[in-house]
Parts: sequence; C-alpha cells; structure tokens
Amino acid sequence: MTDGIETTLLLPDRCRDVYAFEDIIGLAMRISRERVSNLDLSALSFIEPYSMLSLLLLGRNHMRNTGERLGLVNIPLNIHQYLARMDFLSAGVFDVASRLDEKLLYRRSSFSNRVIEVTDIPGRERESVRAIAGVIAVFRKRARHILKYWLNTEIIDYFVTVISEVCQNIFEHSLDSGYLAMQTYSVGSEHVVRLVIMDSGIGIRESFSAREELASLAGSHVIEKALTTPISSKRRFGYGLCQVNAIIEKLKGSIYIRSGESSATVLHKQKQSGASHMFLRDDLAPFPGTQISISLFG
Amino acid sequence: MVIRIKNIARDLKIRLPDLITRSVGRRIYERARKNMSHLTDGEVVLVDFAGIQVIDSSFVDEFLLRMIEDSRGPGITFFIKLANITPIMETNIDSVFSSYRAYNDSRIAVVTESLTGSNAYYIGGLTEAERDVLDYLRINKAAHVADIASLIAKEEHEAKELLEGLYALRLARRGPAGGSGLFQSV
Repeated sequence: MTDGIETTLLLPDRCRDVYAFEDIIGLAMRISRERVSNLDLSALSFIEPYSMLSLLLLGRNHMRNTGERLGLVNIPLNIHQYLARMDFLSAGVFDVASRLDEKLLYRRSSFSNRVIEVTDIPGRERESVRAIAGVIAVFRKRARHILKYWLNTEIIDYFVTVISEVCQNIFEHSLDSGYLAMQTYSVGSEHVVRLVIMDSGIGIRESFSAREELASLAGSHVIEKALTTPISSKRRFGYGLCQVNAIIEKLKGSIYIRSGESSATVLHKQKQSGASHMFLRDDLAPFPGTQISISLFG
Repeated sequence: MVIRIKNIARDLKIRLPDLITRSVGRRIYERARKNMSHLTDGEVVLVDFAGIQVIDSSFVDEFLLRMIEDSRGPGITFFIKLANITPIMETNIDSVFSSYRAYNDSRIAVVTESLTGSNAYYIGGLTEAERDVLDYLRINKAAHVADIASLIAKEEHEAKELLEGLYALRLARRGPAGGSGLFQSV
C-alpha cells in the first residue's frame, strides 16, 4: 500500500509448469519496486503444485521484506477451491478478501487421496524431523492413490527416501524453513505426479561456498555436481540430491532444481533414448532459496 | 546377539515403518550400543530390520556406518550381519558405501543373511575372488587357507592375504585360537 492507494498487479496465466512460472518470478522485482499490494489472479486458468508453492514463497519473501501481506483478488472459483483445499490460503502469507461459500469448498474426502497439502518444513532439526515423519505418514496413507498410475511394490519406498532426503536439505543446508506439496493430476491424456519441496534460504551455491573446488563454477554446474556426485557442504561427502537423482533415474522421471539465478533440469526418460537429458541455465531472474520439482509422467 | 531395530524404535517411540533422518539414526545407534555393552570379543551381531520398510542415507550414515566402524576396533572386535533388508534399504546402504569408498579411499561392506538384489550375501564393493570366498565360507561355515588357495587358484600366502582382508572388513572371522589358518563365515 502506498499513501493509501492500493496497487494491483495482474498475474499472467503462467502457472502451468515450472518454466512458465519464470514469468511470474520475473515480476517479483516489480512487486517490490511498485509497492504492489494485491495480486489479481483473474487470468489464471490452472495452477500446478510447483507454481503454487513458488507463489507462496514469493508472498512470504514479500512479507519478510516489507512487513506487509500481499492480497489476492479476483481469484477464479476453480483456483480458489484448489488453493483452499491445498491449505495454501491458511498458510498465513496472503490476505484474501473474499471467502468461499462453505458449499463451494472441495470436500476433503473426495480429493484427499491424490494430494499432500502444503506442509511446513521447519528450519530447526527437531521440529523438522517431526514434520518430515508426519509428511511421510500421510504419504504412506495416500500413496496408493497418489501413485495410482505408477504403482509397483517399491515405488512408495523410493518416494519415502526422496521426500526424506530433500526435506532434510532444508534444515541441514538452507538456513531457512520451507514447504512441501504433492499431487497427481492429468494434463490431457497424460498423468503427472509432482512432488515439490522448496525454501527461500541461502541456495545451493552459497551452501557450498566453503568448498574451494566449486567456487569458480556457475550456479547450474554446482547444482549438476550435487545431483551427480556425493558431495556435501557440511561433511566430507553427502548423499541427498545424488541419491534422489539415482532414484528418479530408476523411475524414469524428471527433476527440476532452481536455486538463485540458476537451474538444472534432468529428464531421465530422454537419457534412455540417448538424447540430451541435462539442461542448465544461469540467466534466470533472482529468487532466493532452492525450489525442487520432481515429476513422473505416465 | 540380535539387535531388533523395530523393538529399539518402539522403545524410543519412533514412528515406524520408516527410519529416516540423522537424529533418528543417532538415537537408534546409541540405544543399540547400550544393548551391546555385554558383547564378547569376536561375537556376531545380527541387526534385524524386520518391520522396517525404509532407512535413508542419513540413517545409514549415523547408524550402520558407525556400527561398522566400531566393529573394526579399537575396542572389542565384532561382526555385523544384516537381516530383513528391503530393496530400498539395500539401494540406500549401497549408495552410502559407494560414497564412503570414494572419499575415504577405504573399503566397506556388510554381510547379509539373505540374498540381496545383487545376487550376493553382502552389500558393498568386493572383488570377484572375495565374493567367491565369502560364498564358500557361507556354505562350508569354515575353511583353511589351503582350501581357499585351491578355490581361487592362488598361492597360500595370497589366499591368506585375501582372507585377512575380509577379516579386516569384518566379513570373515578368524578361527578359534590354535586353529591356525582357519577362517569362518559371519
């Protein structure tokens, strides 16, 4: 709010995938510079879990930097229902003027099985360990539905490992707290399961700043190194992202990691056909922390 | 002796069936070591994971790796054997061992009670000859250096060296005092 005048910014319909959401991350500077107080969501037709959590971080960063909560206005009904159901709106990050009629809210019973709602992953070890155990208990209860199209006896255990490894990175390395969400959804005839875990901490490059041999590498190459080599910023060696990458390779899935101004995309399905499968970028708009999206397609 | 991880987890009020994170690994390790206070020299410790589905690499690092390092001294020598390992446990243990080997320039492996996904009775990186010797010991329970030399078609001093290497890794036991040149399975 500036001198009592509310500035509203219309968000483009760019919440369909991790790459499209870059357009919204690119607006973060504008939100701060123009002292935007409301985000107009009227143009959104769809929002997937990575975009949802990134939007949540964007709002949290704004709140931390300015002490003000951004408002969300003109939310389309389907988006409003989804955000309410995923506990996005109860995270305390955004102000929402219009409340949904109780009758319009998604009933938990019919939708619950395919999602894990927005879950806080605290920045302190003790609380975080409890939160991770809680998330995994929920995942185990719902896994048969979340992984309906991929189910074999081992995939649930693989995902338990993935959730555990990535969430532990938040309190071990990011110096911040973060969020997790998971969902199965369909795009046309394609089924997608997406696990999203992110924080707005110091980012991967900074967490490795003490490792001299990595200092000269571009951010995306540090991410690549973390995905392909058992390196650790705290110990002589580590396992987390490298282990996650090995598991997702077995499942022929994909990993997208964004940290600071860099990103790495790994498409394991393409690796099998011999095509390029690792795509690195270092020209993204700055956005604090590390955002990870892990997907299986079927 | 038998260490039933499920019972320890239950005593510590740790939610099952998954044992994840470093802090859980540390707690289980400390309790297991306490339970091992009356261990005798040369004893086999069967670490039974029945009722556990997943252990992640942090847990492996804090629990299993430390147990294996302890087994190699400087205190009492003991031998670890894993039971009821799920495929994901095997994957995660193997991954930690690979990193350990790469960064410590030191080998690590552990014996398993059942056949693993790699069609072996151990997890870790061993040579083909070492694998053959472990299989031979497992089937015959014990063997003299001369038997092993014949098995791998090497000189006795080379077979002895290989067996001593397996002993150092705590994958084979030395025979009772006086039984010079006798080695036993774990």
